Parts: sequence; C-alpha cells; structure tokens
Amino acid sequence: MNGVSGVSGVSGVSGGSSESVLVVGAGGVAHPALIALASAGVGRIVVCDDDKVERSNLHRQILFSEADVGDPKLDAVAERLAVIAAPGVVIETRATRFLPSTALDLLEGISVVLDACDNFATRFLVADAAHRAGVASVHGAAVRWTATAMASSAAGKPCYRCLFEDLPEGDAPDCATAGVTGPVCGIAGGLAADLCLRILRGGPLPYGIVTTYDGLTDHLRVVRVRPRPGCELCAEGATLPDLAAHRYAGPACEA
Amino acid sequence: MPSIVRIPTPLRTLTGGNDEVSANGDTLTAVLTDLEANYPGIKDRLLDEKGVRRFVNIFVGDEDVRFLGGLSTPIKDGDKISIVPAIAGG
Repeated sequence: MNGVSGVSGVSGVSGGSSESVLVVGAGGVAHPALIALASAGVGRIVVCDDDKVERSNLHRQILFSEADVGDPKLDAVAERLAVIAAPGVVIETRATRFLPSTALDLLEGISVVLDACDNFATRFLVADAAHRAGVASVHGAAVRWTATAMASSAAGKPCYRCLFEDLPEGDAPDCATAGVTGPVCGIAGGLAADLCLRILRGGPLPYGIVTTYDGLTDHLRVVRVRPRPGCELCAEGATLPDLAAHRYAGPACEA
Repeated sequence: MPSIVRIPTPLRTLTGGNDEVSANGDTLTAVLTDLEANYPGIKDRLLDEKGVRRFVNIFVGDEDVRFLGGLSTPIKDGDKISIVPAIAGG
C-alpha cells in the first residue's frame, strides 16, 4: 500500500465483495457513515432497519428529504446510495431489526459490523453476536452534543462489555427526550466509517480506544480501553454468549 | 495545583454548566468527595454501593481507573480526570 492515494476506494474503485459491512440502523449516525463507505467503494454494504421516515429525522438523517416522510427508511437509503456509491459497490437492505433471532444470519459473510443503532440493548447484542460470529465491530453513537466511536477486533478483546459491562438498571432518558444535534451525528458517523475503513484496508489498528467529540467545547478526547479482567464476553475462560432474548431488554439511548 | 475534572454534558447541570472543574484530593475517592462538597449530587451520579457505576467510566489521563487502582487510584496535582458516560443514541 503506498499511502492514502493508493487505497482502493479513494479513487472510486470498489474493494470487491471481500469487503462487506453490515450497518445496524438507518438513523443519524448511519447516514454519514453509509455515504462515506459507499463513496469509498466498500464492496458490499448491508443495512438493516425497519423504521419509517419521520419529519423529525430530517435534520440529521441526511439521505432523506421531505418527500420520504412516511416511507420505509431503507427505500430511500437504497435509492440515494445507489447514486452516491462508487462503481461496483453492492447495497443490500434487510427490513428487520438486529435481534437475537436475526443477529447471526445478518452477520453471515460480514467483515465488519457498524453499530449505528439507538439503544443499549442492541449495542450489547451487536457486541455479543459479533464476538460469537468472529466479526470485527464498530460502535458509533451520538446524543445531545456528544459523538463517540470505538472498535473491537474480530477476536473481540477489548470489547464493548469491557467498557460498559451490561445494560443499565432502571430508567434512562431516551433520545426523544435528550435529543441530538445533526453535526455530532455527522461526526459520529464519520468516526465510525473511519474505523471501518481502517479495519478493512489496513493502517494503525484502531482497537482499544474510545474517541469522543464534545460539540460544545470542540474537544476531541481519545481514551484507552483495556481488556477488563472478568469481562463476561472476552475474558479468558468466558463462554460464548447464547444471545437469549431476555438478556437484551433495556432502556434507550443514554445512561 | 489541584486536578482538573472534565465533566460530561449530562452532569453539567450540577456544575453550573462548567465542562471542566478543579478538585482537590490525592486519591480518586478524595477527589469525588471534594467534588460532592462543591457540586452536591454529583457523587451519586458516579458511584453506587459497589463503586464507580458501570455505565460511567473514569479516566486519569487516558487510563481507565479500573486498571490503575479503582477508587484508590492516586491523583497528583495537575492530573486530568475524565468522566465518560455510556452513550447509545444513533
């Protein structure tokens, strides 16, 4: 590889189907990430979501327009990405949520899963299922004025549970209450896409760090995550998660 | 010089909107006690009966305190302490 200009995709050349990314969710973090990945020529991009477009989505779900309100999100996503994507990129849609019953099927043949969902339960499920399937994972999130992203390797150590252990107990404000600004969604999606491309195409390994951008202070903070002794997902001797549905019931987006 | 504590957005209502505050104390426990004295209610958002709440991560520099000494982590003057809550929105 001879630097950025030699990386396939920057010049619009598809990386082929050996590169496949599953994007979980078609919301505010997913849209900028999808634009970046499709433009970079990631060979196969699969998006799963089962929501319809709402007017309140438009300020941050930037592939959508007023005309899409009321339609399934995946229809507009597929249509817009087909125009943006580099030649040879295949966009696939799956009109389903990422659930214990669908997770392993959705991960079949996937190189990297980009978690751009909006709730803790799904984020833990992505971490567990990716670990089980031997797939690298990237978690991108945004709420209020904060964007954050982290990646776990296919070997899964350190992992999402090293940092956040398990679902929060009790109530938590959800995104409808907390809100989120459009630009930090863009930054979260950009950070997440950057991590995906580094995993797919080489460069410094992006594992073991959490990057957080504060949109009110312009501070970008990078902190290190280490494998947590006793982590139920990735510690020595941990058993593979069984993805039982009861393990993934919890509150929405913020602790 | 005391340590500097970076406050995430959800906790800034307790610190008068400040995203960085200073705190005295030579261990993390002492720092949190000092924070509580100046910003009542903040300790309960960070700690439960078992220690640091699992949805909050506290870093000294760029090291998670879990790997340093937990609540007994020594804090030096000028140390930068970051509070990183979990975020799931997307």
